[in-house]
Formats: sequence, structure tokens, C-alpha cells
Amino acid sequence: MDFALVRPLIDLWVGVQAWAFETFVSPLLYALDLMEWYEPAFNAVEFVMLGIVQIAVIALVMRPMERRWGIERDEAALVGVDRVYTALNKLGVIPLLVFVAAYPITNELDYLVRVLGLAPPRLERLVPGLHDNALLSFLAYFVLYDFAAYWVHRAQHRFRWWWALHSLHHSQRHVTAWTDDRNHILDELLVNLVLAVFAQFVGVQPDDFVLILIVGRLVESFSHIGLDLGFGRLGSRLLVAPRFHRLHHAMSDAHDPHIHDHNFAAVFPIWDVLFGTARFDIAPRPTGVDDREIDADNDRGWLGQQARVFRRFAAALLPVAMQSRL
Amino acid sequence: MKRAFMAALALVLGAGTVARADQVIVLNSEEASYSVLSRGQRTELQRVPLGREPHHLTQTPDGKEVLIASTVTNELVALDAKTGERKRTVPGIVDAYQLGFSPDGKWFVTASYRLDHVDIYRYDGTTFTLANRTFTGGMPSHLTFDTDSKTVFVSLQQTSRVVAFDLATQAIKWNKEVGKVPAGLVMLPDNKRLLVALTGEDAVVTLDPATGQTTGRLQTGRGAHNFWPKGDGRHWFLSNRVEGTISLIDSQEMKVVATVRVPGGPDCMDITPDGKELWVTQRFLRRIAIVELATLKITGSIPVGKSPHGVFILKAPAAPLRAAAND
Repeated sequence: MDFALVRPLIDLWVGVQAWAFETFVSPLLYALDLMEWYEPAFNAVEFVMLGIVQIAVIALVMRPMERRWGIERDEAALVGVDRVYTALNKLGVIPLLVFVAAYPITNELDYLVRVLGLAPPRLERLVPGLHDNALLSFLAYFVLYDFAAYWVHRAQHRFRWWWALHSLHHSQRHVTAWTDDRNHILDELLVNLVLAVFAQFVGVQPDDFVLILIVGRLVESFSHIGLDLGFGRLGSRLLVAPRFHRLHHAMSDAHDPHIHDHNFAAVFPIWDVLFGTARFDIAPRPTGVDDREIDADNDRGWLGQQARVFRRFAAALLPVAMQSRL
Repeated sequence: MKRAFMAALALVLGAGTVARADQVIVLNSEEASYSVLSRGQRTELQRVPLGREPHHLTQTPDGKEVLIASTVTNELVALDAKTGERKRTVPGIVDAYQLGFSPDGKWFVTASYRLDHVDIYRYDGTTFTLANRTFTGGMPSHLTFDTDSKTVFVSLQQTSRVVAFDLATQAIKWNKEVGKVPAGLVMLPDNKRLLVALTGEDAVVTLDPATGQTTGRLQTGRGAHNFWPKGDGRHWFLSNRVEGTISLIDSQEMKVVATVRVPGGPDCMDITPDGKELWVTQRFLRRIAIVELATLKITGSIPVGKSPHGVFILKAPAAPLRAAAND
């Protein structure tokens, strides 16, 4: 690669990152005696910068596409709260909370594994050609991660207590590019904890993990876009298209009571094809959940949704006999 | 005719060798590569793929090779210290974030920052044999040796401690709390004072190497991090990462005699064989700064890869070994 061509851009990006870090973050870390997090915090600044870029891509590219060619007329009342979720996620607020909660657990697991003398297999050792090729290595880990994400998503639909949380994401009646981050905090924690532990055990490195998250979430934002858009017969089987993912959000009815138990993949539809959960319908359908309690999420703001969904989750954990008391 | 051809060939080969001795190696720790720079042209000549997350390097006891540790792919790559030519790979050295040889060349020690252990190896000139692995916790990050090769000292960043190991028995001699986020260490030539840079503070503390007791403190700059010898046995450079400066410390007077501003998180350093320039990696700016020592001013800054960390100026084997302080 000829770095001279992109060097001015790199310098600009790095300059902004260094300025933001040294002006705001570094003094805070020093004052709060958190200097052991110095280098992760520097990388976190880049994470937030990339989040800003993602928000810009959604706002300036995806949303105009929706307004121009969207399946549905824009409903500000429904969409507004999803912007809050997106901002909290992309700007690092939710990821930071998830990290603080999950780190002690993943760190202890990692330490235990090392003490027992176990070591995760290194893909670079198992697959020739990966060792000195950072891009190929990244793609290999990305595919593995997406495989795990597919199964986590199936679990979110399979277990009643997890569906109680995840149903918030599906309750949206007007799915847009802002909808991807519409999740309960507890759901985010559980999903990210499982995927972080998985990533640890297959040897995904922290930098790749962050990059996988960012690239993956951008693809997922696009797959939520309110357009009737496929990638062709072959393309739609290689990369999740908006039409493919919209079927996953389709409202079930008597005809199709389990329609949302299809098309779980986040980035690569191959997992749905392999495990028999793929559907490639053509006609777009209304989205949402055919359940009055869950649908009522649309009448609430961010805080109201978080509180109400937590009650739903708690109720789902209790034995049936005690649920009536809630 | 044949003699003239051989002479011309020797000239070309010799010129190539001299050109390579002008070069500097910089490890791009978040890019799985190292940059080869030209000192004279002050430019990056090439970027070479490497195993993932290379952070630090060290010269072999005979001075002929420099070993680069890839912490994720768990291997050492040996380059010729004079020409930069890749010589061999040593697999199975796990998470060697920091690495170094004892002054007598018989021991090789690594600090595993991510996996929280210190490994002590026996070294016979070619082979590394693991003598002991100790799980210390606390993010072991930097190490140094006493001058008689009996003890290795390792800083634990997260737990604010320094731990001393007996090399012969690999037993822990002492384990003391020293201050916030201890990082770089250096054993002074008198073998009686161990300096520890406190990245969580703005100071260097002096420890008694026999007991670990703190015997002195010198204020430097916020984020005191890493040492490098000036080469006169008396003065040491210290990078202050938060403040963005390099302090020059007189270890006899125990005072800061000069300070130079190097922005962007200055970290590892190396000094040119002629003693005229100090090359400093700027972690946050993806650059390496060149400080002219006569004026203590930055005279150049070369762009490299992401998170540049260890730096090594190629030099002939006869040049003095790197001192007991490891970066």
C-alpha cells in the first residue's frame, strides 16, 4: 500500500484522536488514578470517533435513501427514540457500561484459562497464509464471530426470558437504519458478554474485536434500512440485505406465526442457509410484534422502555405461579 | 577482468551493507508490522509484516541480533543487528510484551502484560529453555536486571508494585508497593539504586534493590514512563507520556538537568551510535521524533504505522550492548 497517498488523511484522523485524548481523556485518567487504562482509553477515543462517522453515514446516506425510496412513510414519533439508542451506543456510553460490567468476568475467565495452562488455538497457526496477512486474519475472525452472533440471536428468540428483553428490538413498527441499536441494556450486556467470551476462546484480539464490532454494526445498520432492497440471488446469500433482514422483523400472524424465527444472521446469511432458517421472500411486510404488551413499547421513551422491558424480563424469570402478582 | 568484477561486486555489496546500517527499525504494535526507516533520508523505506502485536525488542548478548517479540503469535523474530536482515524465528515464547537478557547473557526474561506472568528462561547462546513461569497478576510490563545478573526486577502496572526474582532459583525475593502504575526500571551502574518510573504520577522513585524499600523520589513530568541511557553511565532519558516531554536525569545528582517537549505520548527511545540524536516513538501520533541532543530540539518526525512502540537503530555488533534498562 502506498501510504504517501493516504498519509494526509491518516495525519488528520490521528491528530484529532491525539488532541481529543490529550485534552479531555488523559487528564481525567490521571486525576482519577486510572492510568493503567491509558492505552485502552486512547483506543476508546478512536472507537467514539468511528461511532461519529457511523452516525454521519446513517444520517447523511442511509436516512436520505429511506426518505427517497422507503417502504413506509416516515413516522417521527416512532423513530425518535431509536436515535437515542443509536447515539448512546455509537458514542460509547452503552459499550463503556457493558465493558465495565463484563471486564471482571472475562478477565477472571482469561486468567483461569492461563493458570490451567490452556491456550486458545491461534488461527494464524492453524491456517497457512494468515500469519503475516492481517486483513485475511481479520476476515477469518470476523466470520467466526458472525457465526457465534447467529447462534446468540437464535437464543434470544428461543429462551422466554431472553425474548422478553430482545422483543424491545422487534417491537419497532417502523424499522429504519436507526433501529439496529434499539436494545435493552441488559440484552446488550448479555450478548456482548457471550460474544466477548467466545472471542477470547477463539483468540480474537482486542483490536480486531473492536473493528469487528464497528464493521459489523455498520452492516447491521444498513440491513435495517427501510428499503425493499436485495442483493440479487447470489448476493443475498453472501451478505445480509435489507429485504432479508426485514423479514426477520415482520409481524407474525395466524398464517405465519413464526416468521420472525428466520433470517437471524447479522452479516453473512450463510448461517441461516446452513442451519435451515433462511427465507428469501420478495414482498415486504409490516414490522413489529403481534403482542399488545410488547407493541406498547412504541408508546414509551428510552427510560420508559428500559424500565418496562426489565419488568417483562423479571416476570419471565419467575415461576408461572408468581407472575400474576406482577 | 575477473578481479575487477569481484572488486566491483564487493563494492556494491559493501555499499548495500553500509546503506542498511543507516536504518532504524520501529515496531508498529497495532499493525502487525515493523517500519524500516532511513536515518539519512528521514523517511520510511518499507513496512514489513510481522506476527501480531509486536511491542518490544532486545539485542542478544553477543550484539549480533535484535529479537522482536510478537505477543499474540508468541514468537521472536531475529534480525541481524547491523543489516536488519531477517535471520530466524523462535516459536513458543508466550506473550513476551517486554523482554531482556541478564548482563552475563545466561538468562532471558519476559513480562507477559496481557497474560499476567513472568517467564525466566536459561539461554545458552542459541536455545531458550523455560526455567520457571510465575503468574504475578497486575500487568507485568517492564523489567531490568542488577549488574551482577543475580536478580530481575519487574514492574506490575495495575497493582502498583515491583517484584524482584532471584534468577538462579526463580524465587521471589521481595514484592513491594512503590507508587501508581510503575513502568520503566533501570538499575544504576553502582548496583545500589533501582529507579522506577511512575506513569500514574509525575516522578521517579529510587528503591534499595536488596529490600525494595523506597529511598528517594525525583519529580519529572506527568506520566513518567520509560528510561533510556545516554551512554555515559551517568545520564538517563525519561519519557513522560502524559506531559509529552523527555527529561534528562543526572543519576549522580539525582536531578532533572534538561527537558525537551516531544508531543504525542513519547515512549520508547534509542540513541544514534554517534550520540547526536535521540529517536523517540510518538505512540499517539503514529510517528517517530528525532531530537538533536546538542540543542534538545526536535529536528524531524517520520510517519510510521499504528502505535509505534519499540525502536532500534541498526548498529554493528561491536557497539556497546543495550544497558540494563529495557524499554
